[in-house]
Amino acid sequence: MAAAPDRPAPPEEDEISSARQAVVDPVRVDVQGLTKTFGQVRAVDDLSFTVEPGQVTGFLGPNGAGKTTTLRMALGLITPDRGSTAFNGVPYRALPEPMRQVGAVLETAFHPARSGRDHLRVYARAAGLPAGRADEVLAQVGLGPAGRRRAGGYSLGMRQRLGLATALLGDPAVLVLDEPANGLDPEGIQWLRGFLRHLSHDQGRTVLVSSHLLSEVEQTVDRVVIVGAGRLVRQGSMAELRAGAGAGDVLVRSPQAAALAELLRAAGAGVTPTDGVPDGLTVSGLSTAEIGGRAFTGGVELHELRAHTSGLEEVYFRLTAGSEQYAAGPAGKDAA
Amino acid sequence: MGRLVQAEWTKLLTTRVWIGLLLGSCLLVGGFAALFTAFAGNDESGIAPVGTPAYEQLALAVAANANILFIVLGIIGTTQEYRHRTATPTFLATPHRGRVVIAKLVAYALAAVPMALVVIAANVLVVSVYAGAKGEGPSLSGDNLRVIGGVWAALVLFTVIGVGVGALLRNQVGAIVGALVYLFVVEGVIRSIPATQGFYKWLPGGALEAMTATFDMTDLLSAWQGGLVLLAYALVFSVLGTLIAVRRDVV
Repeated sequence: MAAAPDRPAPPEEDEISSARQAVVDPVRVDVQGLTKTFGQVRAVDDLSFTVEPGQVTGFLGPNGAGKTTTLRMALGLITPDRGSTAFNGVPYRALPEPMRQVGAVLETAFHPARSGRDHLRVYARAAGLPAGRADEVLAQVGLGPAGRRRAGGYSLGMRQRLGLATALLGDPAVLVLDEPANGLDPEGIQWLRGFLRHLSHDQGRTVLVSSHLLSEVEQTVDRVVIVGAGRLVRQGSMAELRAGAGAGDVLVRSPQAAALAELLRAAGAGVTPTDGVPDGLTVSGLSTAEIGGRAFTGGVELHELRAHTSGLEEVYFRLTAGSEQYAAGPAGKDAA
Repeated sequence: MGRLVQAEWTKLLTTRVWIGLLLGSCLLVGGFAALFTAFAGNDESGIAPVGTPAYEQLALAVAANANILFIVLGIIGTTQEYRHRTATPTFLATPHRGRVVIAKLVAYALAAVPMALVVIAANVLVVSVYAGAKGEGPSLSGDNLRVIGGVWAALVLFTVIGVGVGALLRNQVGAIVGALVYLFVVEGVIRSIPATQGFYKWLPGGALEAMTATFDMTDLLSAWQGGLVLLAYALVFSVLGTLIAVRRDVV
C-alpha cells in the first residue's frame, strides 16, 4: 500500500504554520519481522507490530529489551539484519521529506555551545522549512525565552523539550519518542501527557512513546506494544491489558482456611495459600459472589473476601519477567 | 543539496570554532612571518635578505603553516556530529547520508576560501609592513602571486581532507591527534630516512611544499602536480569517509 505518494503535496513553506492546527493525514506504521544481532546478542528478534493514527501507543519493555534498537531501525539509523518498517507503505529512507512526515526524539542530542534556537534553525534549514518554524516550535513546547541560551546549560527537562521541538519542526503526522519522560518533573510529565494526547486525539497524529515503566505512560497511552528480550510479548489496547490484569483472582481469609479450600476445590476452583497472609487463600475460577455463596451454604466463617486487583504493573512485570536477566547481559548497552 | 550546504554553514557559524581557528591561524602565520623577516639577511639564519625573491617567496609561503588548523576545522566539522551525538537528528533530517557528507565537503571547501584569504592577508600585511620598514616590501606579482595562489588552494584542500578524515575516524580527539602526529612526526621521519625519502613528495606535506615553493627543489613535484596530489588525497578521504558514514549504524 504505497499510500504516501497519494498524499497531497507537502504544504508550501508559508502554509506550514497555518496548517499546524489542521488534522493531518493519517499515517499507519507497520513494523514487519525486524531482526538485529549485535555480535552474539540478538537485540531484536523477528519483531512485528503496528502503530495506528489518532492514538498514543506505548512501546514498553525493560531496559535492554531492544526498544531503542527497534526505533533506530524503523528510522533508518540502524540497518536491520531482516525485516522492514513502513510509514503508509514507505520505508523511512525512501520518504521524500522525512521531517515533514515523521518526527523523532531519540536522545537529547545537540551541540552544547549552540543555542536551542540555533539548533532548531539548523534542522529547519536542512529540511527546507522556513526559519520562523524554530520560534513557533519553541513556543509550542514552552521553551520560548530560553531558546536563545546555550543548550549546554539546559536542565534535563528543557533538553527533552528541545528534542520534542526538533521533532515537531516539520509538523509531522507521526511522532516517535524514546523515553520522553526521562528527566521531566511531575509537572513536566503531566504537561507531556496532555500534549501527546492533544497531538494524537485532537489532531489525528500517530504517536509512539517508548518507556521502561508502564506506570509512567499508563495514563497517556491508548494501546501498548510490550517487548521482552527483543520479542513481542503483548500487543493490544489498554482496556484489554486491564481486563487481563489479574481478572478472576479472589483473595479470601477464613479461620477455617483448610475446610474452605476443600469446599472451593470441590467446586472446581484453583486454590493456593496466599503468601504473607495468615489464613489467606488466593482463589481462581470463581467470582466473589460464588465464593461467598459457597462459604455461606458450607457454614464457613469468612473474615475477608475481595477481588484481587493486581495492578497493571504486576501484569507488566509478569509479561516481561523472562527478559530481566537478559537486560543485565551484554545487551545492557542497548538500554532504552 | 543547496539547503544542506546552508545547514552546514549555519552549524559552522553558530559555534565559535571557526573564529578560534581563524584567529589562531592569523597569529601563527603573522608570528612566523615576523620571525622570518627579523632574521632575513642574517648570515647564521640562512634566510636571504629582504628584497630578494628567495626571501619574499619564503615569507609569503608561511601562511601554508595554517594547514594544520584548517585540517582541524574540517575534522571538527564532521566529528562534532558524533561527539555531540547530533549525527542522529542530522541523519533523521537527511536519511541519504552520502548527501550529508557531500554537503559538508562543499560547505567547508567554500567556507575555507574566505578564511584562507584572511590568513593570507595577515601574512602579506606583516611581511609588507615589516620588510617595507627594513628596506623593500614584496610586490604582489609573478612568482610571489603564484606562491600565494598555491597557499590558498592548499588551505582549502586541507580543509576538505579534514572533513574526509573526520568522517572516516569519527572520534574527534583521535582524528585531530592522529592528523597532527602524522603531519609533524610521521612525515618528518619518512623524509629523514634515506630509504623512504623518495616517497615524501607524494605525501600531503610534500605536495603542500611543492605548491608553495618556487625554488629549484629537485626532490619535489611541480606546483600543479602537488595540487593534484593534494586533491587526490582530499577525494580519497572524502569517498572513504562517505562510504563509512553510509554503512555504519548510528547507535
